[in-house]
Amino acid sequence: MGKKVLVVDDDPDVRLFSIAVLEEHGYTPLEATNGEEGMQLIRKEAPDLILLDVLMPRESGIRLYRQLKTDAKLKNIPIIILSGITRKSFLRSQKALTEFGGEEVPEPKMYLEKPVEPEELAAAIGAALK
Amino acid sequence: MSKILLIDDEEVNVRVLAMSLRSDGHEILCAYSGQEGLAVFEREHPSLVITDIKMPGMNGIEVLRQVKCIEPEAEVIIITGHGDIENAIEALKLGASDFINKPIRDEVLTVAIQRAEEKRSIKRQLREYTDNLEIKVCQATDEVQRKSNFLAKLIGSSNDGIIATDQNLVIVIFNPGAQRIFGFREQEVLHKTIITELLPDKLETLFSHPPDQNNRQALTSRQEITIEAKSGSLIPVLFYTTPLYEKSQVVGTVSFFQDLREIKRLENELVQAERLATIGQTAAGVAHGVKNILHGFKGGSYLVNLGIDKHDKEKLTKGWNLIQRNINRTHGLVMDLLSYAKERPPEYEPCEPNNIVKDVYEVMLDLADEHQVRIETDLDDTIGTVCMDPNIVHQCLSNLVSNAIDACLFDENMEKQWHVIIKTVLDDDRHIQFSVTDNGSGMPEAVLSKLFTSFFSTKGHRGTGLGLLVARKSVEAHGGTIAVSSVEGKGTTFTVRLPFEHECKADNGNG
Repeated sequence: MGKKVLVVDDDPDVRLFSIAVLEEHGYTPLEATNGEEGMQLIRKEAPDLILLDVLMPRESGIRLYRQLKTDAKLKNIPIIILSGITRKSFLRSQKALTEFGGEEVPEPKMYLEKPVEPEELAAAIGAALK
Repeated sequence: MSKILLIDDEEVNVRVLAMSLRSDGHEILCAYSGQEGLAVFEREHPSLVITDIKMPGMNGIEVLRQVKCIEPEAEVIIITGHGDIENAIEALKLGASDFINKPIRDEVLTVAIQRAEEKRSIKRQLREYTDNLEIKVCQATDEVQRKSNFLAKLIGSSNDGIIATDQNLVIVIFNPGAQRIFGFREQEVLHKTIITELLPDKLETLFSHPPDQNNRQALTSRQEITIEAKSGSLIPVLFYTTPLYEKSQVVGTVSFFQDLREIKRLENELVQAERLATIGQTAAGVAHGVKNILHGFKGGSYLVNLGIDKHDKEKLTKGWNLIQRNINRTHGLVMDLLSYAKERPPEYEPCEPNNIVKDVYEVMLDLADEHQVRIETDLDDTIGTVCMDPNIVHQCLSNLVSNAIDACLFDENMEKQWHVIIKTVLDDDRHIQFSVTDNGSGMPEAVLSKLFTSFFSTKGHRGTGLGLLVARKSVEAHGGTIAVSSVEGKGTTFTVRLPFEHECKADNGNG
């Protein structure tokens, strides 16, 4: 069994794409459609890597990201953000949330902006799990 | 006391009279012939001349004539011989103030002088009064003229149209502003036209029943009306009228017209500018949608390539479906953007609203089934064929129904049997109410408040954030309203109220 990689995205087409890449490279994919479901799976399955979208209905990726990074047990799981919004916007939102009174959280291991080439995605996953 | 000139050829008479008058306090000048008397008169300007009538050379009558010629204000008393009544009458005719008979008695002379002095003073007062009156009339006339010019200029230079009428409503003032708005020249209407002929019929009662004078405060309020200009074009104006009173009698009316064409044009420009700004502001929103779609295409082609390489039909099918879905998403995004950006006036035609609802129902049935949502219609069958824009109704209801299905899809309560109901009600003789009700997730207050703002979407990848904006825009273009009520966890109802005509007018085709 390959390493477990959790894909959190509300868009089934994005999950389909990521899972195809993961399977093609011998990883074991897990999938969640929102932040809440993602958190349950993370606690249950302890994945080796998380591929996370930012904009989702209900529990957003931003909230899940901050929960993970401030949880002592979970903060070392590497995260790759895969999103339509730019890295700059994401970091700005993190900065604003920190200033708003939150704990400062580290930047994600990697940040990929959609659209992404399958080779690029595979390479990023490989690098993050090294 | 007076300055008096005495003229008599008999020196003794002059001396005696002079002595007597000086003792009364008068200043006395003496002359002993008519010629000498006139010379002294011209030099000294006495206020009173007392002259003997019979003198060698120039007689008293001639002196009187000449004195009156030189100084009409001067008073002349003639001394006549006893019984010389004819000369006395002649003297009075020529303007003598009095005559005294010889021998002169002091008391008679005193009275004559007093009367002459009174006459003079009355004349002077009268003259002063007349002079003053002329000045005052001149001043008042100037003032009135100035005020009148000022008012005329004020009325003339007003950008607003001002029309005043007499009590019979015949136009008496038609300022340049009114000429610009109505297109008539002043001479075409002045003293010829009744004001109500220029205004919509509904305003006639306003003029036939002017408000009571005691109720002046309750004058007509400003109202927006449309007037028909001479050219036949319809012009929106802000209109205000008030009766003119004089001693509690209505003596006329004055009406004010503010041309709203420019304001309307600016309003339209503003709407256009807002629309452009919305698009500009939210280019990022579009970019986000496009990026997601592109990502989908890349995923699809990756799966198709894998399927071809490995002869894996399952991957091939999945990949191809993914590509097709993203073709649809591209289509949806582009169509939403186009219909939002495009100015499209409603196109009215005869249609049956209930049939439009049935069409929408048919189209949405598959989507609803796919997500285990039951879809129903509840139609008011008193609605028949009416004049509306069927495309707006169709587009708007499709959008609301697909939103309603999404709302069920987003609902976490798995025990519910989800349903969407499309309902029509004949609201009144001129309006139909369409409503779309679901029992899905409902919306919190924060979402409700942002519902009609551009590119706001809670649907993640599923929404462009344009659907409701487009729906509202077309409903408003149709003269209707769209409203929403929602309870979180219970469901949402969107209500669209649209006006209709029973029959399409011939010129209504282009909206």
